[in-house]
Amino acid sequence: MADKYLELIGITTRFGDVEALKGVSLSVARGEVVCIIGPSGCGKSTLLRAANWLTSPNEGTVRLDCSVVGHAPQGRATAAQIRALNGHRARIGMVFQQFNVWPHLTALENVVRAQMVVLRRDRSEAEAKARQTLADVGLSDKMDAWPERLSGGQKQRLAIARTLAMDPVLMLMDEPTSALDPELVAEVLAVLRRLAEIQMTMLIVTHELGFAMRVADRIVFMEAGGIVEQGPPQELLSNPRTDRLKAFLDKLSLTKLPKDREHAEI
Amino acid sequence: MTLDLTIFVDYGPRILLGFWMTIKIVVLAIALGLPFGVVLALARRSRLRVLSWSALAFIEIFRNTPFIIQVFLIYYVLPFYGLRLPAEQVGVLALAAFGSAYFAEVIRGGIDAVPSGQLESARAIGMSDLQAMRHIVLPQSLAIILPPLTNQMLSLIKESAILSTITVQEMTMTALRVQGETFRPFEAFIMIALLYWLLNEVVAIAMRALERRWTTKPVKGEA
Repeated sequence: MADKYLELIGITTRFGDVEALKGVSLSVARGEVVCIIGPSGCGKSTLLRAANWLTSPNEGTVRLDCSVVGHAPQGRATAAQIRALNGHRARIGMVFQQFNVWPHLTALENVVRAQMVVLRRDRSEAEAKARQTLADVGLSDKMDAWPERLSGGQKQRLAIARTLAMDPVLMLMDEPTSALDPELVAEVLAVLRRLAEIQMTMLIVTHELGFAMRVADRIVFMEAGGIVEQGPPQELLSNPRTDRLKAFLDKLSLTKLPKDREHAEI
Repeated sequence: MTLDLTIFVDYGPRILLGFWMTIKIVVLAIALGLPFGVVLALARRSRLRVLSWSALAFIEIFRNTPFIIQVFLIYYVLPFYGLRLPAEQVGVLALAAFGSAYFAEVIRGGIDAVPSGQLESARAIGMSDLQAMRHIVLPQSLAIILPPLTNQMLSLIKESAILSTITVQEMTMTALRVQGETFRPFEAFIMIALLYWLLNEVVAIAMRALERRWTTKPVKGEA
């Protein structure tokens, strides 16, 4: 990859005696959509959470646009380093499996608050931006709703609007549709597809192979704390080179993969 | 035993003065102890060892020793180090320290009860630890914190009676004096029992009102 916008270099993460990531390196180009797939426990979420240093690895470096987000091992972070990290996080949107919308704030306020606190926007500017991003994800009529009144799909779209309002240069998505009822998955995937269309750089951990097939520029298959295989979706999913990917795809009983992007249905 | 009603009339005003002193001391102690309790709770969760250990030591000392001994130690020992404070001020400080240790544990419990994903999402969007606490975690833990916090306030109010042992002219001290002068303990103590009850009832009702306001959804918050 010529353009390395996000770079994860030699990421090793240990949880006690377990090595969840074994020196994994991965780069994402500007505007590229990369989907990470793999069996549960393979380290894909841990890798994603290393990208914004939410789970700081034991070893490795993360760079965004040539500037260091995190480097390990290192001693206690200085105040300046913490500020720099918070600055990076403000530009890196993250969407969680469990949505993590803030239940004590209305939908609008969910989107407004971080803009005001982190980006120091004034209320009128933050509200205008919030109205716009909520409209973008189809929640114009839910501005004043409390999160508990929203469906899972609406909550996840609210969470996406919240990160979009920060004008992110990169989006990290940790199984964004895994906690959703099947009939609600499509509305969230539709939002993600639109983000891909406007060239948002995205790193997505997902189980939705159909979706990955359709929007990803590249699919990365992980297993046991390492990257086993990666490549363009078509190539990777229809002609897996390794037995491990073959076995993984077989387990998902993906006998009938869509033949090409145009006809792929989510 | 029959009540001598004239004692209520004759000594009521003095008792009320003591009541007023109790109110002042308790309000100041809570006003100091509550914010300090928040600081202790946050320090306890800090990654800085020095901070979390000092907070823990403070909490454990004040939770695990009798309040009356704390009061004696502060009142009789501080002057040896050149710090001679009026009894009322010592009383406020001792009550605030004692209260803050309990407040801190209640607040910590409330913070821990908020799902970790809430703090994570706040951190992931670029908030500092303190911003995440202030805007995301603490507001959500209020509903969990308030009921036990009320209990702690009520016991703090009752503990203030102990300050009579270091000559603070609060309500219990006043009642002891009245009893000494009149040899009518029943009248003296029934008066202050009623007043303690009244004070606690007012605090409990106010806190319940606060609970209702904060546990039903908040008004659109200002940042």
